[in-house]
Amino acid sequence: MPIILAPVNKELRVVRIAADDKTKKHLENLGINVNGKVVVLSSSGGSVVVIVKDGRIALDKNLSTKIFVA
Amino acid sequence: MKRFALAGNPNCGKTTLFNNLTGSTAHVGNWPGVTVDKKTGTYKKCAEPVEIVDLPGIYSLSPYTPEEVIARNYILDEKPDCIINIVDATNLERNLYLTTQILEIDVPVVIALNMMDEVEKLGNKIDEKTLEDRLGVPVVKISALKETGLDELMTRAYKASQKARLGETVLASSALSHLIGDVKIALKGQGVENPLFHAIKLVENDSIETEMHKETLPMIEEFKGTFEDDVFGDDFEALVADARYKYISKYFAPTLTKKQEKFSLTKSDKIDKVLTHKVWGIPIFLAILFLVFHLTFSEDLFFLGKAGVFDKEVVAYTATQEVVSEEDFEPGAIYYDEDGNEVEAVFYGGEFVELAPIPYAYDKAGNKIEAFYDKDGNELTVLTNDEGEVADLYDANGVKYDAFYNADGWECELVLAEDGTFEDVEFVSEIDAFRSEISVHTFFGYEESVFSPGVILFNAMDTFTGFLSACMSQAMANAPAWASGLVVDGILGGLFSVLSFLPQILLLFLFFSILEDSGYMARVAFILDRIFRRFGLSGRAFMPMIMGFGCSIPAMTNTRTLADDKERTATIRVIPFFSCSAKLPILTAIAGGIVQFFGVGNADLITYAMYVLGIVVAIATVILMRSTTMKGEVPPFIMELPAYHLPQGKALMIHLFDKAKHFIKKAFTIILASTIVIWFVSHFSWNWQYLDDAEMNLSVLAGLGGLLQPIFTPLGFGSQLGSYGWVFVVAAVTGLIAKENVIATFGTLAACLSAGFAANEALGGVDSVVQMITATGITVPALIAFIAFNMTTIPCFAAVATAKAELPNKKSFRMTLLFWVATSYVVATMIYLIGSWWWTSFIFAALIAAAIVMIVLYNKRADKKLRVS
Repeated sequence: MPIILAPVNKELRVVRIAADDKTKKHLENLGINVNGKVVVLSSSGGSVVVIVKDGRIALDKNLSTKIFVA
Repeated sequence: MKRFALAGNPNCGKTTLFNNLTGSTAHVGNWPGVTVDKKTGTYKKCAEPVEIVDLPGIYSLSPYTPEEVIARNYILDEKPDCIINIVDATNLERNLYLTTQILEIDVPVVIALNMMDEVEKLGNKIDEKTLEDRLGVPVVKISALKETGLDELMTRAYKASQKARLGETVLASSALSHLIGDVKIALKGQGVENPLFHAIKLVENDSIETEMHKETLPMIEEFKGTFEDDVFGDDFEALVADARYKYISKYFAPTLTKKQEKFSLTKSDKIDKVLTHKVWGIPIFLAILFLVFHLTFSEDLFFLGKAGVFDKEVVAYTATQEVVSEEDFEPGAIYYDEDGNEVEAVFYGGEFVELAPIPYAYDKAGNKIEAFYDKDGNELTVLTNDEGEVADLYDANGVKYDAFYNADGWECELVLAEDGTFEDVEFVSEIDAFRSEISVHTFFGYEESVFSPGVILFNAMDTFTGFLSACMSQAMANAPAWASGLVVDGILGGLFSVLSFLPQILLLFLFFSILEDSGYMARVAFILDRIFRRFGLSGRAFMPMIMGFGCSIPAMTNTRTLADDKERTATIRVIPFFSCSAKLPILTAIAGGIVQFFGVGNADLITYAMYVLGIVVAIATVILMRSTTMKGEVPPFIMELPAYHLPQGKALMIHLFDKAKHFIKKAFTIILASTIVIWFVSHFSWNWQYLDDAEMNLSVLAGLGGLLQPIFTPLGFGSQLGSYGWVFVVAAVTGLIAKENVIATFGTLAACLSAGFAANEALGGVDSVVQMITATGITVPALIAFIAFNMTTIPCFAAVATAKAELPNKKSFRMTLLFWVATSYVVATMIYLIGSWWWTSFIFAALIAAAIVMIVLYNKRADKKLRVS
């Protein structure tokens, strides 16, 4: 499911990132890579804040529909 | 001299470390091409001095933003003797991702495990010996903030820099190791430096590398054909990223023992529950913002004055000691104040302004001089002698006056009316005149209100520069009028009017730095991103815009946080539309003038409406630019939200010092030059005759204004105003030095237009405006158009200079100037025409609709073309 719909405070695994190469690379640099683990901290009105490794990353609505987690 | 580069993720404490290593030797320099600060400084405690280079924060060596390109190019091209990789130990795994890439370069590396104090506070431990063994480079625990471990770090870095190191990779055991090995050999054969690093980036399909090593690409494509991975397919880049993270979590992460295994909400997360709340986030932000501006610019701190804390009814007394209250004052009537001095009630436009003391001269003992006598004891009313000068005057006892004084005991000379009767006294010394004006009210307010810290600082600076001006004009009292005019009004006046803003700009910057350092700004960008996306900008653009209400200069500098060049250019262009504090006097004075003269509307409402107009113009032009010349996708919003922490005094001070230095440098170069030019053209006539302030209507500038006047006809302050119309043009031109000049020029010109007119300071320029309206017959729509023109046209020179420094190239700077001129012209024309003839609004509506349709159609066609090709 896209991360926008994902449950809060649960460890999830990224399965697919359907963004352009540049964005995908940037996400990887920040630790959001396929097979990587993320936890959704908050999800309000489409924008999502995720915990990745030990950092907090904010993502806009459009992008959070393109990151698929399981 | 050896050079060590500091590299690390954004917000890992790099700059703190840099400042602590180099002390006060830090200076800000610009990189060629892109304006991102790179700092260099010297560390002196090693065997030899070492140059330390602070690179922009980066997440990886595959660049995403312009800053990352700079850091990467520095490391590869400038070949530092050692890279000090700063790792935020509170986010170890993510930070080591960059480390694994840096290790692939043939350069000595030392890891600085920063924020160890934070880690230990959480009860976690890092086994740095094991980490050092596994990484193969020295690892030193430090705390940049507490300045621990720095000497050890530098000693080991110095030692490491003496021995060459070959790049190593954590990908050696991954599925791609063979390919990487082969590409590396191929690149080595071509004589490429850092073959391992380039080989891996090439395999990752990094855009810069594929451009650089086209001939090696087929090798990778061939390998790709035979390769298949269950999860990643042939997406090598994702595969490499995964391999790196896997290696990190398998070998490096276990050196960290966490007290608490499961993730838990930190203090920051709890604060964020409130500050980034869906509903409350934005109101909280607006409240904080209001407070910042209030503390910087308000002349009525916490509205204590409005709340009536300092209210004191103005009362006067009649000759028979009866109390007269404010509402019973009669215009021009004479009353007595508490000390028994005669005062006159001054009214303006039917409203009471102030009780002005009736001027008297005083003798040395402080006695009021009621009458003057000649030598023989005859009372005089005409005080001139045969030469038309002030005669020798005596008191009733026949003693000659040597000097006169004013009520406060300052030495003065007599000012006589044309018929030779006593009119007023004037200070002998300009310094005295200046000093007598200074009181506690000058700085702190509290007669009607308390000033905010920003205004107090402004007044302190203003008083200081004013004092220097007074001293200078006193010193030049005997010099020719043009020379003292040039130095005092031209050079000092121009410089000081700009410099007096420095304290407020710095204070505003300090507040924003505090908000930024604490981590709050990242949240603001996040909560506003949703709104801004609709206008074609990302949330990050909001900060510079809002800062524009204070001053355009720091606002334009702040656009550096925007990743996209086009977005940045568009933002810089609209910043002046967020009316800055210096434009406020234009709004209040003209709005006041309109209400006064025409008796229409409400001054506050007009002022407020003009602010809104600025914002509307900004939004409209941003949308226009983003759909035409500055087209581009809004970059996706991905932002790390750093943990909140208290800002550090030392870093803030260094930051402010840098800002002040830049600002002062600008004031003494471009601004100085332009003020001198404007002064010359406004004080010399065409035949090089020096002109007094009051004769500005004969100046070159007035002549030029007259020439330009027809251009402003559609705006309502051009040819239709007849022979005096140039005053508005001239005022707008002098506004280029500093926007406060617009109203100041009105005052000067009003004096030229009607002899004997002297602007009353208590009225804030309203009377000058009324004078101008009377002289020129300008209409209300034209006045509003004039405000709008000044608000949206080329900002002051200081802001123009900043824009030039911040814009990517000369061409875009020229286009920006054109954009300002065009926008202000169009907006002011629309206001004047619609205001004068309401039906023209249909024409404008039709024109705008046509433009929108054309842009949309054109963009659709361009899109189609793009898709076909």
